[in-house]
Amino acid sequence: MNITQHPELLDRLAASYALGTLRGGARRRFETLAREHATVRAAALVWQTRWSGLTELQPAVEPAPAVWTRIDNLVQAGKSQAAMQAARADAAEAAAREPSAGGWWRNLLVWRGAAAAGAVATLAAVVVGVQVNGGLKATTGAQIASLQQQLQATPQIQYVAVLADAKADASMLVTFDPKNNQLVLQRVGGFQEGDDKSLQLWALPPAGGPRSLGVLGNDKLLKLTAQEGDVKEVPTLAISLEPRGGVPSATGPTGPVLFKGALIRKAT
Amino acid sequence: MSSTLHPDSELMNLIDRIAEQDDSALKELYRRTSAQLFGLALRIVRHRDTAEDVLQEAFLSVWRGAGSYRGALSPPMAWLGLIVRSRALDALRKRTSDRADLMNELDDDMAQVLEGDSPNPMDTADASEQAFALHHCLGRLENKQREVVSLAYLRDMSHGELAEQLKLPLGTVKTWIRRGLEQLRSCMARYA
Repeated sequence: MNITQHPELLDRLAASYALGTLRGGARRRFETLAREHATVRAAALVWQTRWSGLTELQPAVEPAPAVWTRIDNLVQAGKSQAAMQAARADAAEAAAREPSAGGWWRNLLVWRGAAAAGAVATLAAVVVGVQVNGGLKATTGAQIASLQQQLQATPQIQYVAVLADAKADASMLVTFDPKNNQLVLQRVGGFQEGDDKSLQLWALPPAGGPRSLGVLGNDKLLKLTAQEGDVKEVPTLAISLEPRGGVPSATGPTGPVLFKGALIRKAT
Repeated sequence: MSSTLHPDSELMNLIDRIAEQDDSALKELYRRTSAQLFGLALRIVRHRDTAEDVLQEAFLSVWRGAGSYRGALSPPMAWLGLIVRSRALDALRKRTSDRADLMNELDDDMAQVLEGDSPNPMDTADASEQAFALHHCLGRLENKQREVVSLAYLRDMSHGELAEQLKLPLGTVKTWIRRGLEQLRSCMARYA
């Protein structure tokens, strides 16, 4: 029987095929016919299109505001990652052209590139950090959601970052409270700098060089004064190892970057 | 209908801007469509946390894949709906394989759905014309027929799976779907 001569039957089969209820041997036979006859393919396509309307007809439900914050954070992290990879490529090119142009500026570009490469690790680091600090569980999405919820539940804290080392082990939890202009850093790893060294916290804005946010003391819980403008629109924070007392902000980091991580803004 | 005021055109412009990595367009698209798409995800996976993950995944995939939209030749809401459905089905399969007790939960949920006098939903200004036609034709079905046909499509379930989950005899499910399909076919033929 040539199915293309039986439009009624063809339409019925195409509707069942596209609905998904045509199964097993009947489905395979229909697929074979569709490969052979454009008419059959067209009928299937018509019904696939019709049924797809079902996805538009379900009752609307508002998702939690944290969902958009999560999407936006991931999109922004991806954008800064792409920008930094471009910067790293430029830096490598510049370095190849003019090897003497090195110094701290080249270090900086390589460093920012490294921060970009760490973006995926950074997400993992946020998760690790939450586990270390909050004892929370479950999968990545749920953990980020939990972190968001924690933030929501703590009204004065609007920014949080978990800084991790190259192995994605969380070492520092950073929160910012704009009401009190206070950055709070909590050491969660076992790292301890030597007596002649200091850790220095840097903001990595999307454009321009790193800005120093302060030098860390030896306490487990550290507080630094900062303005919201210092951290707003900053995708990444990083900590470098510097000579004791730190270096001026304009110098930029001179020592190795030990920890870095994305700064996440609370949903508003 | 003016082409500049039609919701499809507005959504298509947003998707074009997203293809150029304009994040403000993504935000606007989310504002416009997230409740509708979240409702769809929730209907398929029946679990709020999972549905939120599905919505997140879907919007990230729109962010990355908006450039392929024009080639899909679909109305924008249908294109978005198919992305969400595909992600939701992945999540549903994963959950089913992760958790053997899922079926019991679903049984309870859906038993309620089918007992209730579920109205023909549709509360969006952005739905495509093809969805309006389907809406109209679905409205002519009995609630139970409409429900079984909708679930078969949305959750990609066979007659046997539907019968098992809805605790209905296989013959009943087959009859409802066959009658539902016949009525829909003759109704939709008028919108060809």
